[in-house]
Amino acid sequence: MYRKQVRRRRAVLALLIVGSFALLTITYGQGSNGLQRGVSTIFSPVQGVADRALKPARDLVDWFDETFDAKGENSRLKSDLVKVRAQAVAGQEAMQENAQLRKLVELDQGPVLAVSAYKPVTGRVIARSPTLWRSSVTIDVGSGDGVNVDDPVISGDGVVGRIAAAEPGSSQVMLLTDHASAISAKVLPAGVQGVVKPEVGDPEHLILDFIDSTKLVHGGQTVVTAGWRAQGLASLFPPGLPLGEVTKASIVDQEAKEQADIRPFADIRNLDLVQVLTGGSRP
Amino acid sequence: MILTPKIVARIAAIGLIGVLLQLSFFSQVELFHVSPDILPALVVCLALLGGSLTGAVAGFSVGLFLDCLLVEALGVSSLVLLSIGYMAGLFRERFEIHNSLVPALLCMGLTLAAELGFATIQFLLGIDAPVSLLIVRDMLLKSVYAFFLGWPIYLLVRRLLRPALVEEPKLRRRRQPRVLGA
Repeated sequence: MYRKQVRRRRAVLALLIVGSFALLTITYGQGSNGLQRGVSTIFSPVQGVADRALKPARDLVDWFDETFDAKGENSRLKSDLVKVRAQAVAGQEAMQENAQLRKLVELDQGPVLAVSAYKPVTGRVIARSPTLWRSSVTIDVGSGDGVNVDDPVISGDGVVGRIAAAEPGSSQVMLLTDHASAISAKVLPAGVQGVVKPEVGDPEHLILDFIDSTKLVHGGQTVVTAGWRAQGLASLFPPGLPLGEVTKASIVDQEAKEQADIRPFADIRNLDLVQVLTGGSRP
Repeated sequence: MILTPKIVARIAAIGLIGVLLQLSFFSQVELFHVSPDILPALVVCLALLGGSLTGAVAGFSVGLFLDCLLVEALGVSSLVLLSIGYMAGLFRERFEIHNSLVPALLCMGLTLAAELGFATIQFLLGIDAPVSLLIVRDMLLKSVYAFFLGWPIYLLVRRLLRPALVEEPKLRRRRQPRVLGA
């Protein structure tokens, strides 16, 4: 009797393991399937309700966490403020000059204006992946709201990621800290181009890879999306969206590894409201 | 554990609510920059009360539901959670749980095992980016949180599944035999 039980237990275990491997083999890299679409459709309203109901409790826990961080953050912000003041003055001058130059050469399609070709749809984060290995969030807008796979997603601070899967009432956002994320970018004002990749496990650190080692970038410079377009191919992101700030760019790293460290502008850890840039022209 | 349709429904409801709570609450809060992961602890608690088979099936189902909601490749979470559910169940079948710290310690150890399992599968599937050493801090803190959350989860799950549990022999203080008249 006992042996029979043990045999049955082992058989069920083997079946479950084989089932897991079979599911993994069938669904890996295939995007969403019928089962996932069905489950998302049923549970996304429940997740929305749960998200709103639990927000006060989340805020309370976050308050404790932020209190611990506040001391270090304060001194960092003070030094940032000095830098930003200087940049703001320089920026105002640049804007004046830019307006004059535009009139001169009659440019009507500047990089930032390209964003206006998109129709932003605002969504709220209703769920988040529990592991850093898969950096994604679920938002409460989906294909029913005009959201499509690969649409760029931004927050008030900058680029957050792109849509990985869109269901009628919800979408999955692959964050720029996901290991599969790669965004073509350029450093302002030098215009050095590269690819922004994450470092898995550290949401406050990105790597600007494949930069031109002959042109040096410096700490404090801003990194924006490059938004290239060539021979029927185009970046998923429009040009000029803020990505982050160069934090460390040693000459050794730039020349030997063609890399620089950047800090994302968007607070990836505490996302609440995001905008999906729907529409837009894509090849 | 005596499994009746009502109890199976309760276990399914516990798993479902656990996954929704994880995605809507625990994954979105951070203490020392790390979010707690209650799902391994939940599966461990179910396995400690129901045995290895219940643990494995619960782990598989919770993982499948999680992967469905996150629109990820199915099977990764199932494989990891069914393994730790089975291990916790085997522990329950082979050893008596006398100390109240045992469920919490098991939750901690098996959460760390689950994190290592996720990492291993992710490495096998391929990672397109460098990996930060901070991931180690993330894994360790998650297992510490599991230690503190494991005991309340165990008590709650045991309370919800009490009708199905085989009565545990109550530990009575044995009186010392006394000589009459002494």
